[in-house]
Amino acid sequence: MLIDARNVVKAFGAFKAVDDASVSVEEGDILGLIGPNGAGKSTFFNCLTGDLPVTSGTVSFAGADVTRLPPEARAALGLARTFQVPLTFESMSVLDNAMIGALLRHPQARDARAKAREVLERVGLGPLIDTPARSLGTPGRKRLEIARALASEPKALLLDEAMAGLTPTEVRDAIELVKRVHGGGITIVIVEHIMEVIVSLASRVVVFHQGREIARGTPREVTSDPAVIEAYLGRRKVRHA
Amino acid sequence: MNRFLIPGALLALALVYPLLVQSLPVYERLGALVLLGAIGASAWNIVGGYAGQVSVGHAVFFGFGAYSSVVVYTHLGWPPIAGAPLGMALSVLLAAVIGVPTLRLSGHYFSMATIAVGELVRVLSSTSEFLGGAQGLGGPAIPRTVFDLSFLSAMPFYYIFLVVLSLLLLLTWIIERGRMGFYLRAIKDSERAARSLGVSAGRYKLYAYMLSGAFAALAGSLYLCMFGFVDPDSGFGILISVKMVVMAALGGAGQLFGPLVGALILVPLEELSNSLLGGQGAGLTFVVYGAIIVIIARFLPSGLLSLLNRRKVNRVD
Repeated sequence: MLIDARNVVKAFGAFKAVDDASVSVEEGDILGLIGPNGAGKSTFFNCLTGDLPVTSGTVSFAGADVTRLPPEARAALGLARTFQVPLTFESMSVLDNAMIGALLRHPQARDARAKAREVLERVGLGPLIDTPARSLGTPGRKRLEIARALASEPKALLLDEAMAGLTPTEVRDAIELVKRVHGGGITIVIVEHIMEVIVSLASRVVVFHQGREIARGTPREVTSDPAVIEAYLGRRKVRHA
Repeated sequence: MNRFLIPGALLALALVYPLLVQSLPVYERLGALVLLGAIGASAWNIVGGYAGQVSVGHAVFFGFGAYSSVVVYTHLGWPPIAGAPLGMALSVLLAAVIGVPTLRLSGHYFSMATIAVGELVRVLSSTSEFLGGAQGLGGPAIPRTVFDLSFLSAMPFYYIFLVVLSLLLLLTWIIERGRMGFYLRAIKDSERAARSLGVSAGRYKLYAYMLSGAFAALAGSLYLCMFGFVDPDSGFGILISVKMVVMAALGGAGQLFGPLVGALILVPLEELSNSLLGGQGAGLTFVVYGAIIVIIARFLPSGLLSLLNRRKVNRVD
């Protein structure tokens, strides 16, 4: 088990954004986390990465208990992530952005630069290496986030709505990219709204609703689950005659 | 052409500057003051510019340096320059003490905390008998040995400051190109993203703060050696902190030569206004700095140096 979260609760005051969620991810898996807006999937995601401390429960990664570790320590263990709204290093070039990730395993700037170049080529940002990162649009930034994360040579990559804001063509490109990343032996957890993405990528899906898990299984299984349909579309109104 | 051409030319010009001004005392003094200002602002630049943690309390370190130098003379009879290592060491410790709680604060909150600490130390120093209270302390009136660094002209100070500034800029350049430099810039742009990539943001900010504090203390010690006197306002006054920020921001914060460019403009301006207005102009300094801050914030957020390498950013993809 690469990622193992047990009985995770995240409360903001009296409100439990995540209420007793247990999710585990096998090495080499692609796990999808889905659910309507406000279901708590992003909050749960941030508990996995360490951006939010859990209220109770445990998170372990690659056999180590990381519940109390800050994000940077989890990154060092091989847990990489992207952000829903890209957090590009605005003052830097595309290459330097990727170097920040690469420097984790390559302390010498020269080695890190070589690693960053290689990763940027791999994700298709090769021609833009020297451009300022702030000149990238949304698809470029999302791609750069993935490159940066990959440059840190992770065991697992957690994607927080990596496809949000992309056009259908761009989504298809991004799906191809994620498939390639996965083909390179990296375990993937993906939070996503777009069903097409989940169906074509994830091998297993966990559905959140109001902070709780309401279904799990293959994408096909969960999309036909009445509880899931109800969570997304609401209950059919019963008309009284 | 290579990247050492401009720094090399600058250094050569700096070396012959006293000859160019034909050893006129007022210009030698001005040259020394520019370099001293550049040392202070370059020290600030490490944490304030590169790491983006805008300290407005660096006078604490400057004052620690100045007072350490004068205290080793007053209480131990040592030459003031011998207090420089002490001031630097104390400043590193102090930076750790201030930095651990305050560097967790983001943006303006950190700046405000550093102002608070700075003012607190200034007030405390004016009540301390050991530090000479509100009157301050003076260095050796008559030089005993050459180590007292009491010279008739400002020229020796000019060259001492030039050596210190060159070493500081060399060190900053080495940091800038290595892992720490990249990490500090990443923290400045987005601390959250940096941490997600394994950057121990807290640790690196603290390192930068300690290093920055040490060199601000060195600037304070050098100041004392030249002027031979320090009191709470000239050591710990908020104007000292503000000057470091404004010089670096005017030239270009987070750029190697930004603070030097800022000092080259601001120090002569300040000396000029002092000589034109004399004692009555004291309050005007604040007005001038205030105006400069507003102008930088409105028109030149990246400083003067950004005018040189302004590239048009076109949207790609």
